[in-house]
Parts: sequence; C-alpha cells; structure tokens
Amino acid sequence: MFAAWTVKHKPKSLNEIVGNKDAIQKVTDWIKSWGKGIPKKRAIFLYGPPGIGKTVAVEALAHDLNMEFVENNASDYRTEDAVNRFAGLASQYGSLFGGKRIILLDELDGLTGTADRGGVKAITDIVKTAQCPIVLIANSAYDPRFSNLRLYCLLIEFKKPAAGDVVKRLEWICDQEGIQADESALKFVAQRSEGDVRSAVNDLQALAQGKKKLSYEDVSWFGYRDRQDTIFNVLRMILYGKTCVGAKQAVDMADVDIDMLFEWIYENVPAHLTDPRDLAQAMDALSIADVYRGRIRATQDWGFTRYVIDYMTAGVAMARQNTKVHGWIPFKFPERIQMLSRSRAERAMQLSIGQKIKRKNHISAARASKQVLPYLRIIFKNDVNMAAGLAKWLDLAPEMIGYVVGSEEKAKEIIDLMS
Amino acid sequence: MSFEMWAEKYRPKTLGDIVDQKEIVERLKSFAKSRNVPHCIFAGPPGTGKTTAALCLTRDLYGGIYREHIMELNASDERGINVVRETVKTFARVKSIGEIPFKIMILDEADNMTADAQQALRRTMERYTETCRFIMCANYSGKIIEPIQSRCAPFRFTYLPREEHDRCLKAMAEKEKVKLSSEGVDAIFEVCGGDLRRAINTLQAATSLDKPVDAKTIYSITGRATPADVQRMMKTAIEGDFLGARKQLRDMIQKYGIAGSDIIRQIHTEIFRSDIPEQWKIRLADVVGEADYRLVEGSDEEIQLSALLARLVEAGSELAKLS
Repeated sequence: MFAAWTVKHKPKSLNEIVGNKDAIQKVTDWIKSWGKGIPKKRAIFLYGPPGIGKTVAVEALAHDLNMEFVENNASDYRTEDAVNRFAGLASQYGSLFGGKRIILLDELDGLTGTADRGGVKAITDIVKTAQCPIVLIANSAYDPRFSNLRLYCLLIEFKKPAAGDVVKRLEWICDQEGIQADESALKFVAQRSEGDVRSAVNDLQALAQGKKKLSYEDVSWFGYRDRQDTIFNVLRMILYGKTCVGAKQAVDMADVDIDMLFEWIYENVPAHLTDPRDLAQAMDALSIADVYRGRIRATQDWGFTRYVIDYMTAGVAMARQNTKVHGWIPFKFPERIQMLSRSRAERAMQLSIGQKIKRKNHISAARASKQVLPYLRIIFKNDVNMAAGLAKWLDLAPEMIGYVVGSEEKAKEIIDLMS
Repeated sequence: MSFEMWAEKYRPKTLGDIVDQKEIVERLKSFAKSRNVPHCIFAGPPGTGKTTAALCLTRDLYGGIYREHIMELNASDERGINVVRETVKTFARVKSIGEIPFKIMILDEADNMTADAQQALRRTMERYTETCRFIMCANYSGKIIEPIQSRCAPFRFTYLPREEHDRCLKAMAEKEKVKLSSEGVDAIFEVCGGDLRRAINTLQAATSLDKPVDAKTIYSITGRATPADVQRMMKTAIEGDFLGARKQLRDMIQKYGIAGSDIIRQIHTEIFRSDIPEQWKIRLADVVGEADYRLVEGSDEEIQLSALLARLVEAGSELAKLS
C-alpha cells in the first residue's frame, strides 16, 4: 500500500518505457549483436538528465531478453580494487547457469576524485577486455574524467520524453490504481516535471494516492514549483545574501551542478549588482572562483571545489555594499549555455577538422580548430583553387569542406576541382 | 594544382635551416654531432620554433628515416594519465634498432598535461632514459612540475627579432609571388605579435583575396581584433555599460575566435594610448596584468576578461566623479 509508485509501477518490459524509442532500439541492437560475437565497442554509455528511464530501460531489456542482470552504483564503495573485483569477475566469465549477462555501472557521475581514485581508469580497463555487455550510465558523458573511457563506448543519448508521452504513462498508472483522472490534471503534472518521469510519478502519488478521482483543481494548488523556481531562490540567496554561510548554503539547495550554477550567477550579477564598485568586486570573486576551477583541472584535486564555492557564492554576496535594492529584477537564463548547446555539433565538427590539420601541421587539434580554421575559412571563401589544394592536402571530407566554406555551391565547386 | 599550408611548406627541415634562436640551435647541433641528446624542455611563446627545432634535431640525428625513431604526442589532445601509462610507456621502453640507441619522444604543448600525468611521466623518463629521450615543448615551463624540470635541459625560445620576422615574411611573399607592402608586414606583426606560425597563416589567408596584401587586407581578415574594436569595447565599459562591453567581448571570443591573451595585450596597449589621467594608466596596468596572470593559470577567457571590464566600469565611474 505504501510502496513508492516509482517502484511499484516501474516498467518491466521495454514497450512500457516512455519515449526514447530510437535510443532504446540502439541499445537493443547492440545487446543483440553480442549474439554474433564480441562487438567493436564492448560497452555502451547511456547519458541524459535524471529520471527519464535510463536505468529502467536496461533492467527492462534484461527482463525481455531473459538475461542475468548485475548492477553496481555510486552508493557502493568504489575504489579501484572494489571495481576490479566486482566488474572484472563478472565480465570475464559467463553466468553460473550459462545464461547471458548484462553488467550495469550506474551513476558514474558519483565517482569522486579522491575517494574513488582510479575508479574511472579501472572501469576503462574492464570495458576494454569485457566478455559480456557492459552498460554505463551517467547524467553527462562529457565530463572530462570520462574522456578516455568514452573512446571505448558506444554513446547513446537519452532525451526528455514529450509531455504527451508522460501523460500516457500517468494515465496508465491511474488505471492501475483505480483512479479516474482528468487529462488536464495529468497534463499539469507532466508539464511541471519537465520530462523527468520519475518526479512526475512521485508528484502524482503525492497528489492522488487514496483518491478515486483527480481533477485539475486537485493539482493546480500544487503551484508551479519547477526547476527554474528553485534556481531563482538559490540565486536570490547568493546575490542578496547577507552572510557568507547563508550564501554558501545556496549550493546545497541548487539542483544544478556547480559549473551550471556558476553560469547562472555570472549571467545575473550585472543586473543585480549595478553599482560599479560592487560589480567589479563581484566579478573579481567570480574570476577567482574560476582560477580555482583551473587549478582543479591542472591538479585533478577536486578538494579545491570548496574555494570555488566560497568565491562564487559568499564572494559575490559580500560584494554588495552600495547597490540599492529597488523593485523586482528578473533572473535570466545563462546566455553562454544557450550558445554552447547550440554549438555543440559545431564544436565537434571543428574538432574533427582540427584532427585533420593536426596530422599535417604539428599542432594540437584543439589549437588547430581555434587558430588555423579561421584562416582556412578565409581561404576557402576567396580562392577555390587554393581551397581545393589545401582540402586535398589535409584530406578533408566533403562535409568538412562544406562546413569550412559555409555554402553548398562553393563546396561543390571546390570538390569538383579536387578530382 | 597542389597547395600546402605555408607554415608547413616553409618549415625548416634541418637545424642548419633555422635562421634564429642561434645559441639554442648551436647547442642542438652539438647534440646531433655527438649523437647524444639529454631530456629537454623547449619553453617559449607559440610560433617561435620549438616544435620545428625538435623535428630538425631528430632529422639531423636519424636522417631520412627519422620518423621511425620518434613519436610526436600532443598533450592538449591527449593530456590524461592513461596516455602516459600506455602510449608513452610502450614507446619509451622498446629499444631502438640502429646506430643511435635511443628514440625521441616529442611531447608538444606539455604544459597542458595534468599534474597526475606529469608525475607518471617523471617515472617513465627515469626508467627508460637508456631507450628514450624526451623533448617537452611548452609555452610556460612553470606549468611543468619541478621534478621533470630538474631532469631536463631547459631551452628558452624567444620571439624572433622584428627584422628577422619581417625578412622571413618578405622572402616568403617573394617566393609565392605575393605583393606584400611594409604596412602589411607591420599589420601582421601588430595582429600576431611575433607568433611566426600565425603570421604565416595570416599572410597565406590574405593572399587568397587576390589583391596586394596591405594593412587593410590584414585587418579585414583577422576577424575583429582591430585596435578600433578593442578601443570601442573599452570605451563602452568606461562609460558604464558593462553588459554592452561584455556583449562585444563575447562576440570577439565566440564569433571571431580571438584569443583572450590577444585581447588583453591590446587592452594593455590601448590603456597607455588613451586620454585617462596618467596615474590611472599605471593603476589599470596592474589590473590588466592580474587578469593576464589569471588567464595564464588556465581559466576561462570570457570570465577573466569580463572581470577586467568590470574594473574598467569601476574606473570610469571614479573618473566621472573626479571631473
């Protein structure tokens, strides 16, 4: 009776899972390819925001294919030895009863720098030699700690399902529970969860358990307590904080990671600390926080995170001396993040061109994409002959030429000249 | 028709081809002659010939088959500890066949290696000295850990003297039949600050416009790093519009791919050219220097530069109070 609905109504089979059809198909194909021998990538890396069914999909798949399922997550103790014992053993031999087996390493984000020292490395080693399918799960696959591990994995992104799909699932749960729910009520719950199915089911339980009927009026009072609202409160604590401790506590309340919170603060400081002296102080605090982030990257010592937090929260809060508080100023979504997500594909393209340049030019791909690519652009736009020659010399693929020159006609002209 | 990037086409092939960095080249020649090379650090700003010197040295050492005896690894792309544990170690421990008993590992942009990786490297260097010598190229030798520095012979590369820089570009222009005016050379120097690789890339890109290369051509292709743009951004900040200045900064960095260090250098130049009171110039120079230092420490360019802009906003408001 009091079981959490997220457990009680957890999808058992793949066809029950909300959304992500393509991703699930990819996972299934890959698992099935093990039937024809060990595939090129021995692990898949599922990533995406929380609560959208990554883990559940793997469990359901194991169920549907009648495979044994071994799970490990970050709440387990994970030193190099522990990982080795666990996953190493499990991956080298088939299951005791001769059945097939899937190994799941969940919540990889939870691996911390020092406590799990060697953890990612050990996992990478296991993946390289795995004798059975390994599934890795994390919210972000692009954490720098996973850069090497990624090379050995098939990356599959899970996306937030559409609200309509979530509504269908909520309807199904209401059926199971014998609740008659208005569609408008379920829509409200689904939209509020912003694609996080798990939290939608939790909310539904909080609102509907023990009821026979659920109407829009039953849920609307719940208020629009969405993620942005949380971040707004957090920002308020920092930008208007009176004490260091108070501002620092905001970090615990934030449901975004530190880097994301940093971006939110950086975006909103200028509008909320308008006095030039205060602004300069606050920006200086952010600058120092950023210097500590650089030190973390250089030393891999994540302990320095505490100073990042000090400066980006308390440092910013203490900057406020002269700015008068008057009226309500809205918080803005970080523009840099918008730009980043828009340009992720673009950066991948730039880097792959950088790799080509690197092979000829003795500089890193990263530097090449920053320093040489802009010049290539100019050349490609202005001189098709030189462009064709360079494209050939660098061995650029047609889509790379298209990207560099930025027009399909010109690209075609260049490609024609190359042959 | 065949084309290459000129920076590669005209890269010196042997130590004898290198015109500058005389003392360093002499030392390296003596290494080649005695057929013995210590572990080395080549430190210096970009585009001063570190990688070139390393490649020339190996070519002089091993001759035409030098590729079989060296490995080039770029730490910016492969900076983690695993690369040291696997790739580097595997290369280092296998004996070289041939007259020279060791191979050479060129680690480019070595200052981008993590501290962990450097620690691992230190042991590898020691254990396999017999079979492998390391040349570490870095912009900042300070970012290389002390134990490695102490195992290496340090060579400090400096920017080419201005005459050498100019002569090099002019000779190249002549060979490629490009009309390059001396204002064009000045503009290239202003924009690239002595980084020869960038200077050559700039020249080649300017050539593609199919007209004589003068200052205007150079400024038109080097994105918006013109002094005028930096001036405008600084003016916007000093007049109190932080968001406006930050927007301009963002465009420079994100849209036109201008390096933060370049922008800082320009700001520094502009401060002394501006008409703010003399005492303020030196105060602001300190602020610029601090931002520059923080950038070198490896942090986010936009954050550091916008913190600097905020300082300019502050200075602007103080100055307004004075007048």
